[in-house]
Amino acid sequence: MVAMTQLRVGERAKIVDLSQVSDLVKRRLLDMGVTEGAEICLKCTMPLGGPFMIENCGQCVGIRRHEAMNIQVKPL
Amino acid sequence: MMHIALVGNPNTGKTSLFNQLTGTYEYVGNWSGVTVEKKVGVLRSKKAKMIDLPGVYSLHPLSRDERVVTQFLLTESFDEILNIVDASQLERNLLLTVQLLEFGKPLTVALNMVDVAERRGIFIDQAKLAEALRVPVVPVIARTGKGCDQIEHTLLEKVTGQTEPFTLFYGEAMERAIERFIASWGTEEQFPVRWLAIQFYEGNSYVRDYVAEKWPEATWRSLYEQAEKEVRHTEQMSLAQFIYEKRRSFVKEVIEQVVQRTEIGQVTLTDRIDAVVTNKYIGIPLFLLAMYMLFQLTFDWLGAPLSDLLDGFFAGPLTDSVTAMLEAIGASEFIRALVVDGVIAGVGGVLVFVPQIFILFFFISFLEDSGYMARVALVMDRLMEAVGLNGKAFIPLIIGFGCNVPGVMAARTIEQPRERLVTTLLTPLMSCSARLPVYALFVGAFFAAHQAIVVLSLYVLGISLALILAKLFSLTILKEETSVFVVELPPYRMPQWQALWRSTWDKGKGFVKKAGTFIFGGSVAIWLLSYVGPHGVNVNMDDSFLAIIGGILAPLLAPLGFGTWQAGAALLTGFLAKEVVVSTMNIIYHVPDVESLQGLMATHFTPLSAFSFMVFVLLYVPCLATVATIYKETSSRKWTMFSIGYALVLAYIVSFVIYQVGGLFGF
Repeated sequence: MVAMTQLRVGERAKIVDLSQVSDLVKRRLLDMGVTEGAEICLKCTMPLGGPFMIENCGQCVGIRRHEAMNIQVKPL
Repeated sequence: MMHIALVGNPNTGKTSLFNQLTGTYEYVGNWSGVTVEKKVGVLRSKKAKMIDLPGVYSLHPLSRDERVVTQFLLTESFDEILNIVDASQLERNLLLTVQLLEFGKPLTVALNMVDVAERRGIFIDQAKLAEALRVPVVPVIARTGKGCDQIEHTLLEKVTGQTEPFTLFYGEAMERAIERFIASWGTEEQFPVRWLAIQFYEGNSYVRDYVAEKWPEATWRSLYEQAEKEVRHTEQMSLAQFIYEKRRSFVKEVIEQVVQRTEIGQVTLTDRIDAVVTNKYIGIPLFLLAMYMLFQLTFDWLGAPLSDLLDGFFAGPLTDSVTAMLEAIGASEFIRALVVDGVIAGVGGVLVFVPQIFILFFFISFLEDSGYMARVALVMDRLMEAVGLNGKAFIPLIIGFGCNVPGVMAARTIEQPRERLVTTLLTPLMSCSARLPVYALFVGAFFAAHQAIVVLSLYVLGISLALILAKLFSLTILKEETSVFVVELPPYRMPQWQALWRSTWDKGKGFVKKAGTFIFGGSVAIWLLSYVGPHGVNVNMDDSFLAIIGGILAPLLAPLGFGTWQAGAALLTGFLAKEVVVSTMNIIYHVPDVESLQGLMATHFTPLSAFSFMVFVLLYVPCLATVATIYKETSSRKWTMFSIGYALVLAYIVSFVIYQVGGLFGF
């Protein structure tokens, strides 16, 4: 189990733990179907500590790097 | 007439469906392209009205535009719900559908983008879905209008008696809590009290306010805490989480029954575009290039020649024929002067910029509809984070280039209240299209060789100041709030001409309307003030009331380089709408067209003072319509006054520095 920030671009992983993510961000992620157990793919990252773009079921979501750091995933 | 509410997730093609169903005529409740307020349209068959509500993921609101939907359900009367569902994202879409079903109104599901889903290997059995949800399901392709007749037919079919409302079983503990709520509530509502109870326990803030209006805090708090305790005891989860999980497991069951998947490992077009557009290294340069192209097209390549044509028409054929006509009917000299020097000069001076404004709105609509705007939020987030905001705040700023009013309204999509406030306060610094006529006038007169670069410098100045102030505000106003950023990046879509034209017109017509009302009235008033003085009518303009009023301001403006009564009067009237500055100047300098006005102005301004004047127009007070919108959005007199006050101070300081420092360098 690693933090999402450990993934390489293009790598797929399963979300294991969202409990460390701030409430508001977690609510939004749930709204978009990014839940524990969901399979995601890291699409790209922005430079200088910028946001991450992840894909889940054909749906892309942008989140900040420090939130991604709090998401525990299991690489597939 | 029947009222149908259109509800769905963001980016499901809701606006396309609305446009297809309601034909070309609609009443738009707002100016913006992004649906931030409700829109009402009449179905093609004229048999029912449809209300287009903002896209939401859930009825439990996080941002202000999401509150609009819950508020609508609770307080407005309507007959049916049309729920648009994205077939390629069935799971998260159905989470909202469940909440709508619980609301108990007759509901029809419009299953959109079936074609997209099938291309991704998702096949949905519509009959089974209808059976599982116990409501009609109609497949549509909103972009092309396929299936819209069927929708309309289903919607208009006589709604036969109330079938028993959909209920989802939430487990023993939760059901007891719901029972307790219903028993204590008592009063009849237009919707099932069960729905209210579930939303209340889920923590829906709007519903909680609604409940708190009826009950003392102790009552609802004890109900909530009891339920929270019981659920935590049996399920080891918070109430909100538990309710979400229950809905999700229901949705999963439904999907299991109705969806067949085949694995298609194909790279989509969106993936390929994103590989470039959101590329780590070229994403930002590409965005800047896109903005550069947008301004070049609007102001230089396309807009300028069209504006020149229109200007030629107003100054030549129109003025001549009106003059001839007035002479033919024997109108007095007063009437002739009023019409030609007041109305045509004032209104015409502004109308010539209609082509440029429409081109700008067209490209902004294109960015919105294509899906690029969300990428802008992603690409710009790092920069915005540095100044204490988030990437989503960049969208209101870009829309603000078109017009500050929809820009301020677009700030509603920002979740954090203080971030939203700061974005609202800073949007007026974006140089809207109404300021363009002012720049065009001065740039043409003083910087003919470097038009684009000077105008661009004003835009950049506006953005830079907004970012600096954002940093300043985030260190003061925003202190206790952490910025939040989660953004959905919808697949790219080629915008359709019809939809683009429609949203361009929706945004641009405000400008044309303003020319017919505000600017028309303003022009007449200004002309009268310049025609009448303390010593009678038809006075020398320097002795007119306008000169006296403007003269009061002149000494204040002198350190900025434009201490004339003309500049003072123009700025004063510019509060109505910034383009009125041009109307006023046209009337004051009493010339038939823009070209001769520019010649005349060279005697009143130097290039440096002209630049200082443009900067002042860029920054000083938001226009009347924007101030009204800020007041509506913040519902705070204090912040509205603040938005005017800080802008005035900022404008004065910046113009002062530019004029004084520029003078030292001998410009």
